[in-house]
Amino acid sequence: MPQVSRRGVLGTGLGATVASFAIIRRGAAENLPQHERELYEAAKREGEITWYSGQYSAEGSEAVGRGFMERYPGVRCNVVRSTSQVAFQRLSQDARARVAQCDVFSSTNTGHFTMLKREGRLLQFRPRNADGLLEAIRVADPDNYYQTSFLGLFLLGHNVQKVKEADAPKSWTDVLDPKWKDQVAVGHPGFSGAIGVWAVQMRKMYGWDYFKRLERNRPQIGRSSQDPVTLLNAGERSIGICVPAGTMLLSMSRGNPLRLIYPTEGTLATIAPSAIPSNAPHPNAAKLFMEYQTGPEMSQVIRRLFGEPLRPDVPAAEGSLPLDQVKLIAPSQDEQEKGVPEVRELWRDTFGI
Amino acid sequence: MPDTAASLPEPVGEARGTDRLGLLGRLRHVEPVALVWLLLIVALLFLVVAPLAKLFAVSFETQGTGEFTLSNYVTAYGRARYVDALVNSLTLGLASAALSVALAVPMAWAVSRTDMPGKGLTWGVVMGAFVMPPYLGAVGWMLLAGPNSGAANRFWRWATGAEGPLFNIFSFEGLALVIALHSFPLVFIFVKAALDLISSEMEDAANILGAGTWTAMRKVSLPLVWPAILGAFVVVFLETIALFGTPALIGIPARINVVTTQLWQFFEYPVRVEVAAAYAMPLLLITVGMIVAQKLLLARKGFVSQTGKGGERRPIKLGPWRWLLFAWCALVGLLSVVMPLGILVQASFAKAWGRGISLDNFTLRNYQHLIFEHEMALTSIWNTIWFSASAATMAVLIALLVAYIVQRRLVPFGDALGFLAMAPFVIPGIVMAIGFYAAYASPPLALYGTAAIIIFAFTARFLPIAYANSAAAVRTVHPEMEEAARILGSGRLHAIVHVTAPLLKKALLGGWLIVFIVATRELSAAIFLVGPRTRTMSVLLYDLSEAGNFEVLAAFGGLLLLITLVLVGIGMKLVGRDFMLRRN
Repeated sequence: MPQVSRRGVLGTGLGATVASFAIIRRGAAENLPQHERELYEAAKREGEITWYSGQYSAEGSEAVGRGFMERYPGVRCNVVRSTSQVAFQRLSQDARARVAQCDVFSSTNTGHFTMLKREGRLLQFRPRNADGLLEAIRVADPDNYYQTSFLGLFLLGHNVQKVKEADAPKSWTDVLDPKWKDQVAVGHPGFSGAIGVWAVQMRKMYGWDYFKRLERNRPQIGRSSQDPVTLLNAGERSIGICVPAGTMLLSMSRGNPLRLIYPTEGTLATIAPSAIPSNAPHPNAAKLFMEYQTGPEMSQVIRRLFGEPLRPDVPAAEGSLPLDQVKLIAPSQDEQEKGVPEVRELWRDTFGI
Repeated sequence: MPDTAASLPEPVGEARGTDRLGLLGRLRHVEPVALVWLLLIVALLFLVVAPLAKLFAVSFETQGTGEFTLSNYVTAYGRARYVDALVNSLTLGLASAALSVALAVPMAWAVSRTDMPGKGLTWGVVMGAFVMPPYLGAVGWMLLAGPNSGAANRFWRWATGAEGPLFNIFSFEGLALVIALHSFPLVFIFVKAALDLISSEMEDAANILGAGTWTAMRKVSLPLVWPAILGAFVVVFLETIALFGTPALIGIPARINVVTTQLWQFFEYPVRVEVAAAYAMPLLLITVGMIVAQKLLLARKGFVSQTGKGGERRPIKLGPWRWLLFAWCALVGLLSVVMPLGILVQASFAKAWGRGISLDNFTLRNYQHLIFEHEMALTSIWNTIWFSASAATMAVLIALLVAYIVQRRLVPFGDALGFLAMAPFVIPGIVMAIGFYAAYASPPLALYGTAAIIIFAFTARFLPIAYANSAAAVRTVHPEMEEAARILGSGRLHAIVHVTAPLLKKALLGGWLIVFIVATRELSAAIFLVGPRTRTMSVLLYDLSEAGNFEVLAAFGGLLLLITLVLVGIGMKLVGRDFMLRRN
């Protein structure tokens, strides 16, 4: 009887696995457009990318990373998801230690990118797929150092069991009413990029006094802009300030008693980019990732988690208002770069944390 | 008589080799222990001295140019908010330490000296509270005692019809309590070990002179273990001011900024290591001050409880009072283990934890997400295990060699080695991590983002635990056994490997496991050193907690606890069930 060694079986099995992977790879690569296929070939040689993400939820970022690996087998995506300020802190720590670890950096605070661009720390690259983005967000930077990869609506939300729809606040200033004392919740600009942008916008519209009055209502302060959604779900607080529409809708789809409020002054639109650091260890894989972000695939992935698609060829998520029916407000890129560090300090003085 | 390297008898085998002259020949006469000693010096310099020296130097440097300046200290202490954070940390440290003592001393006394029932259960409570990472307990308590939605507060409102909450976790008291509920095991271990040594004769003497049980305990037993209580108080204080996870989770909503969260702020853009270093210096002074104060308080008093005459140790009969003590132990167990663990398990299987326990709220999705969909979850588990195992191995190895050299007085200035091995004890983990970042993150070593820097930081951080353990173990082996081997021609290292080490195997394994377990839950030393591929479970838990998704967070905590329990189980099997809490 011929002897079958364990190593022989293992070897055959391994060979078969490798062969089947090769087939899948070829299958995926054949469907790619020419510019993606070239990048993909180069990216496979690099093998992986590391993505510092402050955009989308933790769950959303993981899904985006998985979507990338499914579309481009053989290129691994290391998702390092945190709040935007923490992601930027990690990038700064890398820079300070003169160690390059990040291939694509995504933050909800555009100010991070204008600063990095000015310091010459970004790679110039325009993904071909960016031409298919919504017209309003097609050009984030005329010099193409960074590219839109996130469109988030931040608004008010309430728990419908605790506060009836008719009684709920309607504008950003309504939450300052003393009747909401101990009932509101908000994230922290020291962590969340979106909260920083929102604070800049509120200061622009109402002055810093807005926050002094907000403090009289003793908001519960978390870290991420999504923090209040959890508090609303649990009934710990009844009104969330500057919460992401996508996270709210996802939570509602899971049966939580929440409702979106589009503030009368306008909904905060956080149009935020991604960029490749100039010292990225895997530049081709990073470029491929930027193509993926601006192409239809990522918009499909985030749409399923109730995020805003970035392209006209991907329909909006169920339950969200089409963008052309929403009044949008946002500070300029310069206002964000200059304003966020200022409001972060002011915030800590006003709220003590 | 302690032997020294100089007076060692020349091993018999060496005599025949004297005809080979020259350097090689002479090198054969050098005891390998000298080489080990050199290696140890280098290791301790690398692990302990260099990071601290660098931290100290950096605190006087101008960012970018490196010129001498005092401005970092001005920046670090120039704002009321920053000084407040320091005051908050110190107050919190004192409060948590005092609470821990209040929780644990009655338990230790009950288990050690009395006939209280349910001692095994009490052991379980102490063990459970010890292995549960403090930030996980904090998450549990946020779910239990959030003022409006917390399960305990909802129950309170339902049961009493009250308007307000029973307890608001997002407060200074809440923070101090949660920390104490996970620190009291340290006090228990220290005090119980000391109480075990007191013979009943001392209490009998008090009884004969008319003192009741209560008075004898208060006037005789407790004062005798005063050094243990004070020592444990200092340890809890130091642990508390070094905590990062719990203050970040509970302190931010409670609006309490502490030293560790403030140090984190100095790492925001632009990364100000210099200011962080300056901010940490007074903290080091305070911790050193605590140790000095402890020494002064205990100076010139006698606490001898062990004498040459064998004493009898008998449990005190408490009558009905034993049930009161049992109730106390059960209450502590309920608060520290059963309640937070119960709510975490519930949340980990829930679609939305606020909806409570019901079949339509049950899901396995949180676990499924972590195990099959989450890109980092399994990697971080593996990272945690092998970083902790490597650190535990290095720490125990270094500690054993240092302890041996110090105990046997093999080299001059051996005590200095022992001092260095114990020094990290007074350095808060987060400060040590900043020292490592300042010293080794950048080129030439460029260790930032590598596994090595985390392993080294863990080794240094837990070296004192390993050293205390090894020193105690080495003390139990009389030199005469090695001397016997050496008389028969064995070299020193040979004797250590074949005689001493086997005798110490159990104790060393116990020490290894303790370091391993505390390393698996370490957050503050890791938070500034992890890279994208080297995140540990505790860091990933912290990242998950940012978004407030408690269901997934609880499931990940569940996995962490499961792994820890398996390890503790293995430890009990190999070393005996009391290995973490040394019984006699």
